[in-house]
Amino acid sequence: MDEVDLVQAAAEAADVIQQRWSVTPRLALILGTGLGELAESITTDVVIDYSQIPHFPRSTAIGHRGRLICGSWHQVPVIAMQGRCHLYEGYSWQQVTLPVRIMAALGIKSLIITNASGGLNPKFQTGDVMVMEDHIDLMFRNPSGCAESQGSEVSKTARPGWVSRPYYDLEFRNAAQQAARRSNVPLQTGVYVALTGPTYETRAEYRLLRKIGGDAVGMSTVPEAIMAQHLEMRVLAFSIITNLATPDDLAAVTGEDVIETAQAAGNQVEQILAEVLPQLIDC
Amino acid sequence: MLELFGQIEEAVTAIQSQWDKKPHAGIILGTGLGSLVEEIDIELSLDYGEIPNFPESTAASHRGRLVCGELAGLPVVAMEGRFHMYEGYPLKQITLPVRVFKALGAELLVVSNACGGMNPDYQAGDLMVIEDQINLMGDNPLIGINDDRLGPRFPDMCEPYDQALIERAQEVARRENIVLHKGVFVAVAGPNLETRAEYRFLRNIGADVVGMSTVPEVIVAVHCGLRVIGFSIITDMCLADALQPANVEEIIATANEAEPRLRTMVMGVLAGEK
Repeated sequence: MDEVDLVQAAAEAADVIQQRWSVTPRLALILGTGLGELAESITTDVVIDYSQIPHFPRSTAIGHRGRLICGSWHQVPVIAMQGRCHLYEGYSWQQVTLPVRIMAALGIKSLIITNASGGLNPKFQTGDVMVMEDHIDLMFRNPSGCAESQGSEVSKTARPGWVSRPYYDLEFRNAAQQAARRSNVPLQTGVYVALTGPTYETRAEYRLLRKIGGDAVGMSTVPEAIMAQHLEMRVLAFSIITNLATPDDLAAVTGEDVIETAQAAGNQVEQILAEVLPQLIDC
Repeated sequence: MLELFGQIEEAVTAIQSQWDKKPHAGIILGTGLGSLVEEIDIELSLDYGEIPNFPESTAASHRGRLVCGELAGLPVVAMEGRFHMYEGYPLKQITLPVRVFKALGAELLVVSNACGGMNPDYQAGDLMVIEDQINLMGDNPLIGINDDRLGPRFPDMCEPYDQALIERAQEVARRENIVLHKGVFVAVAGPNLETRAEYRFLRNIGADVVGMSTVPEVIVAVHCGLRVIGFSIITDMCLADALQPANVEEIIATANEAEPRLRTMVMGVLAGEK
């Protein structure tokens, strides 16, 4: 699909959502591994399965539900993706980022993204929450560099904006840091490196990722953040450190371990979010 | 990845209809290393074209046949010639033979390759047992919907190469008076060789040698639960500040010269399996 088709697809999907739920949400949330429970605290108006939304990619990953929660959270109208799609599931960059286009088509200007990641920074601990300050894209999938998108709207119009602003809004980050202090929740700051996966990293790869400046490593979020910036949305992203990648003393990791830790840390993210929410709306 | 299960079954059926043993090990022989096959008591030899879903090997000095027989007293299947990403094959297809080894009953994967040495302590013609790997191919053979019958969604990679096998290889090397380094292999897609700046980069990120294969096969071996041992023959030295143009004939000649030592290593490691 080229850019025009993608914009059209997003508009069609947004129409279907608006037919079921006529409120204009102020905020969108993408709930990653282990954070799906946050959706339980939303006062739900409508729940829409991804399968009921045209063009919407379906999540096959463990720990991901695959439905859109429309409602209000602490009196703010929000739309939350309970479960996301990943490149490792075989979806293209265009498919993985389509939900963000749909959010933009619904008129949403602020996006909160969460994920589970492996900690590379030796100062981190399992269960820590990190606000993403920046990212490194090692996914090798960004279509802006591919021949197929040359001449498309993306390559013609989006490049200047992509370099002039940070991906992760500074005001949002500062507000989150303040909210975390007020809530007495420790909050790390750092750089997230994205790889496609689905393999976890080798010890040699962890050393490489730390050396190039990564604090945490995961398999999501970067495509969504890049798309959100392209669409001029402001992004706040949290990463839950579900395991520590200590390459000199590495133990095996399973997907199930990751989900368990993520769920435990999920309520810390929820606390920070609840506290920061009014400021995000006012920003 | 859901199409793989049926493809593996078809290949296994084709092989088992002519050779009914359960191999202990699957062996992949890389550039210039195919003559290890001479050590095998060959019971069946199949061109890749005769095996359903096997791609054809197009690389120089790769033959393209699967050999089934006995090596060091153990039943083995060996690939004489492998497939590479730079030939244009998807990684799923390149790695299908590893899944076929597993489905035939193999417990162990032996991989070998020719590579460029970046660690200045190494010399052309030396052997290295692979201790760990870095995937810089920009792709992963496990992308797609996971088939849980083949392996887990998120394979752990903290020990892709079996430590006990590495130690056994080092023992064999000491006994046989063979220089055997232990190091990190980084895989790039190729097919061009690296620039001086890229060699500096790859050395800087912690790699000892660089090549264009092995990593996809090892990822799939970990996914399907095979123990792995990997050997690299350093066929030329790639020192950024003393770089010579690569000469394919010389590289193949170096691989051929080193091959008897690789044979000794593989035979020694397999002998320890009994």
